[in-house]
Amino acid sequence: MRKDSNLDVLTKGILKENPVLVLILGTCPTLATTGTVDGAVGMGLAALAVLLCSNVFISLLRNIIPETMRIPCYIVIIAGFVTIVKLFVQAYLPDLYATLGVYLDLITVNCIILGRAEMFASKNPVVKSALDGIGMGIGFTIALTAMAIVREVLGNATFAGNSIAFLEPYKISFLTKAPGGLLVYGLLIALVYVITKGKAPLKKSFSCAGCPNAATCHTACTEKGDEQ
Amino acid sequence: MLKNIKSVGVLVAICSVIALLLALTNQITAPIIEKNSAAAANKALLEVMPEGKGFEQVDMSKYTLPATVTEAYKETSGKGYVIKLTTTGYGPGMVIMCGVSADGKVTGAVCLSSNETLSKEKEYGKVFAGKDAAAVEATDTIGGATMTTGAYKNAIKDALTSAKVLGGENVDVRTPEQIFQDNLAAALPAGEGKFTKMFLTEVLEGVDAVYSADNGAGYVAIVGEEFAGIEAEAPTAYPAIADAIKAMTESTLTDVDLTAYEGIHKNVTSAKKTAGGNYVLEVKGAGYGIVGGDEYHPASGEYIVIRVSMTADGKIIDCLTVSQAETPNLGSVCGDESFSSRFDGKTEADIPAVEGIGGATMTTDGYKTAILRCFAAVQILEGGAE
Amino acid sequence: MFKTLIIILLSSVFVDNYVLSRFLGICPFLGVSKKLDQATGMGIAVTAVMLLACAVTWPIQYFVLNALNMGYMQNIVFILVIAALVQMLELLLKKFSPSLHKGLGVYLPLITTNCAVLGVAINNINDGFTFIESIVSALGVGLGFLLAMVLFSGLRTRIHDANVPAPFRGLPVTLIAASFISLAFMGFGGIVENIFK
Repeated sequence: MRKDSNLDVLTKGILKENPVLVLILGTCPTLATTGTVDGAVGMGLAALAVLLCSNVFISLLRNIIPETMRIPCYIVIIAGFVTIVKLFVQAYLPDLYATLGVYLDLITVNCIILGRAEMFASKNPVVKSALDGIGMGIGFTIALTAMAIVREVLGNATFAGNSIAFLEPYKISFLTKAPGGLLVYGLLIALVYVITKGKAPLKKSFSCAGCPNAATCHTACTEKGDEQ
Repeated sequence: MLKNIKSVGVLVAICSVIALLLALTNQITAPIIEKNSAAAANKALLEVMPEGKGFEQVDMSKYTLPATVTEAYKETSGKGYVIKLTTTGYGPGMVIMCGVSADGKVTGAVCLSSNETLSKEKEYGKVFAGKDAAAVEATDTIGGATMTTGAYKNAIKDALTSAKVLGGENVDVRTPEQIFQDNLAAALPAGEGKFTKMFLTEVLEGVDAVYSADNGAGYVAIVGEEFAGIEAEAPTAYPAIADAIKAMTESTLTDVDLTAYEGIHKNVTSAKKTAGGNYVLEVKGAGYGIVGGDEYHPASGEYIVIRVSMTADGKIIDCLTVSQAETPNLGSVCGDESFSSRFDGKTEADIPAVEGIGGATMTTDGYKTAILRCFAAVQILEGGAE
Repeated sequence: MFKTLIIILLSSVFVDNYVLSRFLGICPFLGVSKKLDQATGMGIAVTAVMLLACAVTWPIQYFVLNALNMGYMQNIVFILVIAALVQMLELLLKKFSPSLHKGLGVYLPLITTNCAVLGVAINNINDGFTFIESIVSALGVGLGFLLAMVLFSGLRTRIHDANVPAPFRGLPVTLIAASFISLAFMGFGGIVENIFK
């Protein structure tokens, strides 16, 4: 498989460059919406939709958008698609809208989306950008769902709202609360490290260079690099 | 410079395109979102009227509705009304929502919040679905929660009445209590609407009860269904009753020395003999204590004090609870006139059959035991006189 | 009135701490909390931008968007306004107070896409706050962020010196430490509402 084949572009986001567990992007929604499986899947799919649309749109306009004005342009495009997705969710999935609340609006500032726009869509043709968006979106959804399963099953003894009777006496309810989110996220990243035997590609080129939070992430990245 | 203008131009163009897209999306989704939020607001209303299409709140100030009604909604396609009521069951603040169909039947009822001890009222509303006023009355009560179910039924009946009123019917929404007070006032306008029930010490033939005006203007005697107004000065109507009342109020009571008689129960604390040869006794009733025993209410430490007037041959003329400290809303019902008047005109043999207080067996037993002791006392007093 | 403001302030600092219980602004929380001076600088900069952003977005929402019946433009307008504000603040600081710019200026560009800033602006509207309440809420959220940053930077210097097992090095142990601080903040739940009873 060639390094930049379409299939590779599609699949790399799912594991090798998983935005949540490997690139460590989009931590806020990851922590905030994974208390329930429903919320996590909803958040993942909403982000996927925004990611796909914004990647395609930005890739189409990549030769028109001036270099100096690119970040404001990207933000406007992303905020626009976020609002469109939000309005559709509000209209057709009101329960999900109530679950996600303000985090749906905050997809706008999810660094995965801006990061992919900057790093990929602005340099690649439409089809590849679309595939990249879908791949990253699926990766985001899978990571969120995995975390939500751990938190909801162990924390609330339910799966997607369905009660799991035999776990009921053993549930660790703090897992569904804020501290549990941070704890499970930390443990999952450690688990990915163990599975990949420490070879998870935590390179600057993936996570930080294109992220508007570059300087912020830079601190975290260099620290991580130093310690490994 | 030109480059900058071009950059800004691109940004403005993108903004415009996105704004256009948003406006289009908003066009599509806005009506659906509005419908969703309306549906969420109507969720409780739909629960009691599942077939309702839409609801609008009714301006209640235009109608005279029962005092328990707090909100009323009209189903927009004319299927009926949804009434929200606040009532008092075992505790205050029981909020009930009831749907009433156009043909005057309950479509559903829910208890939105309550302070009841049994929480069974949460499910109770379901039993009323499809019933009319008469069927509501006949519905089974929740075992052990007479007050709660009584209040619930009354609320449902109020809802049915309200729906009739809102539907334009002319319905008397006064409570039985209000109707009674209004009748008293009508019978004796000089009484200015303030009356107190008199404790009768003599047998007034055909008269069920007598109310005296607080301002001394006169009396209202209740004769069957009739309210007989009797002025204190120069009564014009009902001369026989007027005379009897006059005689009763003017007669003096003679104290009877109970220590002179043996076998009178110690809880009978005083006895007086009237001019007509009747007795007026005061007796302490064992309340929520040990059944049939001599205990007072264990929490309040007080007896139920009852005043009974009785003919010499053992027939109760009038019965009044002077004081009681029974469990509020359960045993405390014995302090209501509606309970004490159940003993009016009864003889010793009738007492066991007198309807008790639901959920307050001990209070009822204590009350009845006290009354029976009065019969026993009168027999001894009469026996001693012979 | 005064009581409501105090409740809003205290609950946004302690109970509903954006970082520790609402997960907004996690990136800078994890990224810039390595040293105490960095953490303080970032915290102050975020507080300033939040105050400014709320002071501007509230009138925009009520006098422009609502008046034009264009509530759906909220997201775009807010994020652009915040980005522009941050740029302006940076330019002004650079021009008039170079020393302050040296201290805070480096953090400003990071704040544009800080979800806590956009979050507090949108939440103030969603919660139906008045203008004064919005400002107080923004102040509380900013101070809460500062508090979390300062507390956490103290913890991280200790982690830095500790011998952590290989899989937990770097981010995982940092997240687990953050989890404990968050657990401690859960203890504030219910206090603020009951303090004034």
